[in-house]
Amino acid sequence: MPTVHNWQIGREMEYPYEGARPKKQFAMVMDLNKCIACQTCTVACKTTWTPGRGQEYMFWNNVETKPYGYYPLGWDVNILNKLGVQPMEGKVYKGKTLFEAAPAGERVLGYLPDDLDYAHPNIGEDDCTGLMGQGAYLTMPHMQWMYYLPRICNHCTYPACLGSCPRQSIYKRPEDGIVLLDQYRCRGYRECVKGCPYKKTYFNPMTRVSEKCIGCYPAVENGRQTQCTITCIGKIRLQGFITTPDRAREDNPLDYLIHVAKIAKPLYPQFGLEPNVYYVPPAHVPPAFLAQMFGHGVPEAIATYRKAAQDKKLLGALLLFGATPDIIHHYKLEGRYTVGYDDKGVELVRVPLREPIQVRVEYDDRHQVHRTNIT
Amino acid sequence: MTSRKSFRWFQAVAVSALILGASLPVTAAEMGLYAPRVSESAALIDPDAAFWDQALAATVSMLPQVVTTPRHPNAAIKELRVKAVHNGQWIAFRIEWNDKTKNDRLVVDEFGDQVAVEMPVRFKKDALPSPMMGNPGGRVDIWQWRAAFQHDLEQGEPQVRDLYPNAMVDTYPDQVLRATDARPYTGAVGLDNPISHPIRTPVLDQMAEGWGTLTVEPDSQDALGKGIWRDGVWRVVIAHPLVSAGESDINLRPGDESVAAFAVWDGGNREVGARKAWSNWVPLELAK
Repeated sequence: MPTVHNWQIGREMEYPYEGARPKKQFAMVMDLNKCIACQTCTVACKTTWTPGRGQEYMFWNNVETKPYGYYPLGWDVNILNKLGVQPMEGKVYKGKTLFEAAPAGERVLGYLPDDLDYAHPNIGEDDCTGLMGQGAYLTMPHMQWMYYLPRICNHCTYPACLGSCPRQSIYKRPEDGIVLLDQYRCRGYRECVKGCPYKKTYFNPMTRVSEKCIGCYPAVENGRQTQCTITCIGKIRLQGFITTPDRAREDNPLDYLIHVAKIAKPLYPQFGLEPNVYYVPPAHVPPAFLAQMFGHGVPEAIATYRKAAQDKKLLGALLLFGATPDIIHHYKLEGRYTVGYDDKGVELVRVPLREPIQVRVEYDDRHQVHRTNIT
Repeated sequence: MTSRKSFRWFQAVAVSALILGASLPVTAAEMGLYAPRVSESAALIDPDAAFWDQALAATVSMLPQVVTTPRHPNAAIKELRVKAVHNGQWIAFRIEWNDKTKNDRLVVDEFGDQVAVEMPVRFKKDALPSPMMGNPGGRVDIWQWRAAFQHDLEQGEPQVRDLYPNAMVDTYPDQVLRATDARPYTGAVGLDNPISHPIRTPVLDQMAEGWGTLTVEPDSQDALGKGIWRDGVWRVVIAHPLVSAGESDINLRPGDESVAAFAVWDGGNREVGARKAWSNWVPLELAK
């Protein structure tokens, strides 16, 4: 099996194909401290891409409650259990990836969910880890906790769906790294459904082939961010392109968040797929749980995030979330503003680093009404 | 009536095929298939027709696919009972195997029963393609019968409510949009992916030149067939014209020799794609 470099686990690893990075890599950052599980992203994706026959329980974008929410049921605990306990200390992952742990005769360690595992997309919603005792008060991290995890296809650098498909029906676009599943070539073997640890390829029983998130490529090709990103009312998402750490550009907001400030982390990097959706970890959750889910460096990420107000460059990147529907390729601080630019250097958006405070007088003379000041 | 021919020529060529096919042991090859000429004029697709009595059944040993990934060492079906006949226009194979469960429902964790016949597109005794779906330059014609297609043709294609009786949906795009506007929401069906639903026949006419190259012949769907599951036994006929226009089709005349190989999938054992049982080439002779 060829060897490829996976920077997220800090080492070379086995993969069924030679490594060839795309010219650009689609990526997204989601701030989990801001997600309220309103499911606007889910509905935006659903109405845009999957309202058809056979897609009734198919959600390319879903939001689940952690630790007890899953779509499909138990997806992450099932594959973690199959992979077994692995050593995860430090920047270099010493355990096995899913490719390295593949049983004899298989390309990747995986499992096929049951049909009913998809039947309750919002199972575990708002379930907390336990009850609060009499007289308890919150400490940090919280002793009882939950958080929301929005998920799309990770458009991995080393996709397990692509690696599992014996027909090469799945391909990674060289121009933007989006992973697509050829709807004509697929024969519905479900090897990708079995192989993807994030369970982000789905079998459609009406078309009898598998389908997956397309990274809103028609939008991305036209410089627009994905539907799930631009409809997010909490402005928790930023979609753009990421470069490898050795080529990180400080003026790319995604590079700055992921490679420079290091506040955004990949989901289950130990699986070895180099997923390209990154999460700002929730600050109130026990570090051990977050280390399992997001790899090394989580406490440092949270500490940096807490001080974002003092780091204007970081604040500037965070304030670009949800600020424009267009893809921001560069950003810079200009006085009191953070300014996002497209790939041709055209200004897309200008966001004040500090939101101006407006104070309304209690009595509005012009309209002769009393008002409650809500800034 | 049937006469058993000698397939001694096959002993030599089987070895050359095996070089391409890695370490496949010679198992199914010994018996061979002799296809008597029957007088039935229509396409030979009825598994219960009387003309099958004119042919002798060959037992074909089926081997688990363990050469390419994903491997499937625990293939459920160990042997097929195969008969072949022709009528000067069509060649037909009747394939029987034991299968306790009839699997023709396709949802994420349910797979359909399937069986396939493979023949070299151009038969040359001394240059057989790999029995494992051919090889570059060694093209094979593959006719695959699918239980799900048989179900569709007899009982109609399942709708969501057939698979999930309690499904509730407000509106589908095709109910509120013009057909052209709704097409993007139909996925593989809208692209006419040939495995999405059957086109007249439960048998897909395909070609291959090695693993991962299996392609449904876009303009030449000539294979016919029918399968009946009764008392734990599948009895499936796969028929194909001896001569057809496509450049990836067989071209045979009465009296010709060739070879055929078989593959079978037990849906109840989650067999699909490379997870299957297959056979080596079986020598085949058509009566004059």
